[in-house]
Amino acid sequence: MWRSRLLPVLVVGSFLVVACSGGGDSIQNAGNTTVAPASKPTTATTAGVGDTDTDTAHADTLAPGETLAPGETLAPGETSAPAATDAPTTTVAPSTTVATPLDELPKCPTDALASASGTVDITFWHGMTADLEKQLQALTDEYNASQTKVHVTLQNQGGYEQVIDKYLQSGQDSRPDLAQAPEYAVQEFRDTNSFVPVAACVKADNYDTSPILPAAVNAYSSGGVQWSMPWNVSNPVLYYNKKIFAQAGLDPEKPPRTLEELQADSEQIVSSGAAKYGLVVDTDFDSGGGWYIEQWFAKAEEFIADNDNGRSAPATHMLFAGQTGVDLYTYLQNLVASGAGYNVGANASGQDAFLKLADVSEPGAMTIGTSAALGTVLAAIKGGIAPKIAVEDLGVGPMPGPNGSATVLVGGASLWIVADKGDEKTAAAWDYVKFLSNAQSQSTWAAATGYVPIRSDALSTEPLASKYASDSRYQVAYDSLFQTPDELTAIGALLGPQREIRVLTARALATVFGGGDVATALQEAATQADALLADYAARHGG
Amino acid sequence: MKRRRRDAVLALVMLGPSAVILVAFVLYPLARAVWLGRQRCDARAQNCRTNGFRQYVDVVQSREFQHSLWVTVKFALLTVPVGVALGLGLAVLADRHLRGVGFFRTVFSSTVATSVAVASLMWLFLLQPSRGVLANIGWLNQLAPVIKRPGLLNDAGTALSGVALSSVWANLGFTFIVVTAGLQSIPRELHESAYVDGAGPWRRFTNVTVPMLSPTLVFVGVVLTSRAFQAYGEIDLLTKGGPVPQDSTSTLTYLIYGSTSIARSDAGLQSTVAVLLFVVLLVLSVVQLRGLERRVHYGN
Amino acid sequence: MATSTARRTSRAHTSIGIDHVPRGWRMVGRYVVLGVVAFLVLFPVYTTVIAALKPGSKVLDHPLLPGSFTLQVFRDAWTEGRLGRYLWNSTVVAVVVTTCQLVTSLISAYAFAFLRFPLKTFFFGLFLATLLVPIETTLVINRRTVDSLGWLNSYQGLAVPFLATAFGTFLMRQVFLQIPKELREAGQMDGLGHWGFLTEVAIPLVRPTLGALALFSFLSSWNQYLWPNLITTEENMNTVQTGLRLLNASVPDIERFNVPIAGTVIAALPIAIVLMVFQRQLVRGLTAGAVKG
Repeated sequence: MWRSRLLPVLVVGSFLVVACSGGGDSIQNAGNTTVAPASKPTTATTAGVGDTDTDTAHADTLAPGETLAPGETLAPGETSAPAATDAPTTTVAPSTTVATPLDELPKCPTDALASASGTVDITFWHGMTADLEKQLQALTDEYNASQTKVHVTLQNQGGYEQVIDKYLQSGQDSRPDLAQAPEYAVQEFRDTNSFVPVAACVKADNYDTSPILPAAVNAYSSGGVQWSMPWNVSNPVLYYNKKIFAQAGLDPEKPPRTLEELQADSEQIVSSGAAKYGLVVDTDFDSGGGWYIEQWFAKAEEFIADNDNGRSAPATHMLFAGQTGVDLYTYLQNLVASGAGYNVGANASGQDAFLKLADVSEPGAMTIGTSAALGTVLAAIKGGIAPKIAVEDLGVGPMPGPNGSATVLVGGASLWIVADKGDEKTAAAWDYVKFLSNAQSQSTWAAATGYVPIRSDALSTEPLASKYASDSRYQVAYDSLFQTPDELTAIGALLGPQREIRVLTARALATVFGGGDVATALQEAATQADALLADYAARHGG
Repeated sequence: MKRRRRDAVLALVMLGPSAVILVAFVLYPLARAVWLGRQRCDARAQNCRTNGFRQYVDVVQSREFQHSLWVTVKFALLTVPVGVALGLGLAVLADRHLRGVGFFRTVFSSTVATSVAVASLMWLFLLQPSRGVLANIGWLNQLAPVIKRPGLLNDAGTALSGVALSSVWANLGFTFIVVTAGLQSIPRELHESAYVDGAGPWRRFTNVTVPMLSPTLVFVGVVLTSRAFQAYGEIDLLTKGGPVPQDSTSTLTYLIYGSTSIARSDAGLQSTVAVLLFVVLLVLSVVQLRGLERRVHYGN
Repeated sequence: MATSTARRTSRAHTSIGIDHVPRGWRMVGRYVVLGVVAFLVLFPVYTTVIAALKPGSKVLDHPLLPGSFTLQVFRDAWTEGRLGRYLWNSTVVAVVVTTCQLVTSLISAYAFAFLRFPLKTFFFGLFLATLLVPIETTLVINRRTVDSLGWLNSYQGLAVPFLATAFGTFLMRQVFLQIPKELREAGQMDGLGHWGFLTEVAIPLVRPTLGALALFSFLSSWNQYLWPNLITTEENMNTVQTGLRLLNASVPDIERFNVPIAGTVIAALPIAIVLMVFQRQLVRGLTAGAVKG
C-alpha cells in the first residue's frame, strides 16, 4: 500500500526537481553537449527595406530591367519571343561550388525502358490538392493513355509537408518511384542519398534543357548538380481588389510596387473607407512568415544565409537578424499595428488570406499569394464565394518589395526520381518527368492553374498563348521570374533544415505582430536557426 | 504432474498469440523508445548521435516540453470537470418520467457516434473566422467579437478553449450514457426513504444521487482524463498546435507527432518525449487508483 | 440489462409521490429546458447538415436556415472523398481487429483463469503492465516495424498491432473467475476438455461481456486517427478518419468548402446505425472500460 503512495510522490518530485533545476532552453538543444554556436552579429548592409528612397513617387519607381506594368503586359507573341531567343543562357552557379562528379551518383539508365517487357508501373507522391490535383490527374491520364510502356499512379499525400515527412520516415522500399517536393526541401532531400539526380538523366538522354528557365534549374541544383526537374514553378504575386482601389481614389491598374507604395495605398484604402483593411498578411512558414521573407531578401539583393545562401558551402549562420530583416519586420509590424494591414495568422487552410478579401463585413483590399492559386481563386469568385467581387475586379501585380525590384525566387515544387527502384522504373519515371515538363504539358498546366511554365517555348504553345493574350493576370508571375536578374542573391537559399528555419522566421513574425520587439525576436530566431544548422551539419558529416 | 505439464503447454499455446502481439507492438517498442530517446536522429532514426540519458533531463528541462505538459494539464482541467458536470446534468435532466424522454436520451447520446475527425471538422466549420457559421451570425459577434476577429481558434487566449469545446461535445454522448446507466442502477429505495424523511429534490440530489454515483463519476473522470492527455486528432485538425508563437494548443502528443512540431523530424527526440508521456500517464494512473480507493463510495 | 431492470423497478414505484409526473407550467418548463439543451447539443450537427445540403456559395447567406436544396455536395464528398472505399477499409480493419481481439482475449483469459502454469502471476502482471503504456509512446517505433515488414498501406499494417489487448484479457478473466468451480468440475466429469469447456460452457456464460468487449473494440479501432495517419501513403488505404483529414486538407476549391462537411455526415452515419442496432451492448461496452484504470 505505502509503495503505491510513495511512487507518484517520488516520480513527481524528481520530475519537478529536474524540471526546475535548469533549463528554459529549447528542446532543439536537448542532448547537445556543446552549447549551440551563438549567432554572430550579422554584417548585413544598410541597403535594407526601410532605406529605399522614400520620396520616390508612385509612378516612376521602375526597378532595373522592368518595363511593363502589370495589366499592360504585351501579347504573348511579343513578350515571349525574346524568351525563346534571348533567354538568359548564363547559369549563375556560385563559382566556389565544388561540383559532385556525376559518376559517383546513382545512374540514370534512360534506355532501360526500351528493353522493358510489358508496362512499367510507377508511383508518384504529390502534394497537389483541389483543382490542382484534378489538373495533374488529367495530364497523367493523358500520359497513361498516350503510350503503353509506362503507367503512372498518383498518390496524393495532402500537401508538400506530408510528402516530405512521409518520404523521410519511410524505408527505401516503401518510398515511391517519383516524388514532388518544394524548393525548401532540396538540400534535405539531396542528403537522403536516395535520388537519381536529374542531371544524370539529362546527360544520359541528351535532353535539351536550353528552353528551361535557368533560374528554375539553379533553384533545384545543389553542389553543381541538378537534382530534380522543376515542374510546378510559382512565385508570389499581389492580389488586389480593383473596385476597392477605384473607390479609394487609387489607379486600379497601378498596384503598388515598393513597400512604401504598399503602405501608402493601404492607408489610403482604410482612411477613404473603401475597405476595412489594406494589405492582408499571414504568418505561415510557407507563405508570409517564411517564403515571402526569403523573397524580400532576394528583392533587397541580400543573402539570408552565409556562404552565398548556403550555395557555395553549407550555411553556418542565418543573416535575417541583420538590418534588412529588422527593417522588414518593423515595416510589417507597423503596417498591421496601424490598422492598414490585417494579419490572418498561420493561414492554416492556406486560404485564410484570400477569404479575408472575400469577407463581407470586414474585407481587406490586397494580399500576397502564390501565383499558383490564381486559377482556383478566379474559379471561386466565379462560383460566387465573394458576392462583392466580380471576376474582372481581381487585379494581379508583381509582389511589392524593397526597391520595387521584380526579382523573385523560384517557388513551387520539382520532381525527384527515387533511386534503387530498378533501371526500368528509373527510366519510366524519367519518361514521365519529360512528359510533364514538355512545352505542351507546361502550357496546359500553366493556363489552367496560374503556375509559371518552366520553359519559354510553352508561351507560344496553346492554350497558354491565348490565355496570356486574353488574361494578362496569368502572365504577371512569369514576367517577374523572367525579369529576375542573374545574381547570386536571386537564386534562393539552400539549407538542410530549411523548413524548420522558415518555421522560426514565421514564429518571429507572429511574435512581432503580437507586439514583440523586432530585434529580440529575430535574434532569438537566428540563434535557434544557427543551432539547427550546426546540428544538421554534425549529423550529416559536415 | 503430467496434467500440470499439459496445462503449461496449453497455456503457452493460448497465451502465445496475445503475447507475440503485445511483445512486438507494446513492450519492444517501449524498450526501443527508451533506448532511442537517448539519441538525436533523423526522421528514420538514422544518422544518430548518442547523448545518453542526459537527453531525457534536457528535454524535461526544455521550455517546449514544459509548455506542452502545462498545455496538456490545462486541457484536462478544461475538459474533464466540464465534461463530467455536463454528463451528470444531462443525465439527471433526462431521468424524469416525462412523455418522450426517450427522444431526448437519444439526442444526448448521439455524439457517441462521432469520431474525433468528425467532431473536429464539424467544429472547425462552426468556428472558422471568415466562413464559419458562428462568425457569420451578427449578434453573436457583437457578444463575443473574438469569434470573428481573430477567431476563437486563432486567438492565443481562447484557442485551447475552442478545442476543449469540440472535445467536450464529442465526449458528451459517452458521459451521458455512462452516467445514465449509473443513475438507473441506484436503488429506488434510497430515494424513497430520503423522500419520506422530507428531503427535497436538491437534498436528494446531493445526499443520494451524487454519493451513489461517485464510482461512475470517477470512472468517467478517469476516462476523460486519459483522453485529454492523449488528445491528438482535434489539435491536428483544429489548430495544428497553434496559434504561434504562443503554441497555445501544443499538447504532449502533438509535440511528438504534430505536423508543425519541432520534434517530428527527429525520431530520437520523438522517442524521448513519447517515453516521458508514458511516465506522466503512469504517475497519473497511480494517483487515480489511489483516488479511486479512497474517495469513492461503493454502492452495494 | 441493469438498465432495463432499473427501469422496471422504477415503473413499479411510480405510485409513490417521488415519481409524480409534473403538471402544468412545471411540465412545460421541463420540456423547454430539455428542448433548449437538446437544441444546443444538436446545433453542430444541425448546421452541418444544413450547410451540406446547400451549394457552397449559398452556405453563408443564412447559415442557420435551410435553402437552395442540393444533394450535389454529398455526391461530391462521396466521390471526391472516396468515402465508399474508406468506409470499407475502416470496416474491414475494425471487424478483423474486433474478431481477433475477442479470440485472443478469450483464450489468454482462459489460460489465466483456469490453467495452472509456472510464473502465472508474473505473466499476468506483464500483461497488465502493457495496459499502462499509452499507444502514443509506441507508435514511433511501430511505424518503423511495420515499414520494415513492408506493411505500410495494408490491412495488416492497420490491424496487426491491435490484434491482442491486455484489456480484453483482463476483462474476460474477471468474468471467467466468476464462473462457479462446480461447473468446471461438472464439465470434467462429463469428459469436457479445456476446449470443450471454453466453447460449450464458458463462452455462452460470458456472452454479454463479450458483446460489450466487441463493441468497445470495434469503436476503438474505428476511431483510430494517429496510427492510420502515420502508416498510410496510398490514398486507397486511408480509413474514414484519415480520409476525412485528407478531404479537409484538399478542400476542393474555395467555393465548395462544405464538401468536407458533407463528408463528416457520411462518415458518422454508418457508426450511428451500428450503435442504434447494438444499443444494449453500448452501455455495457462503454462502462466495461471501468476496469481500465
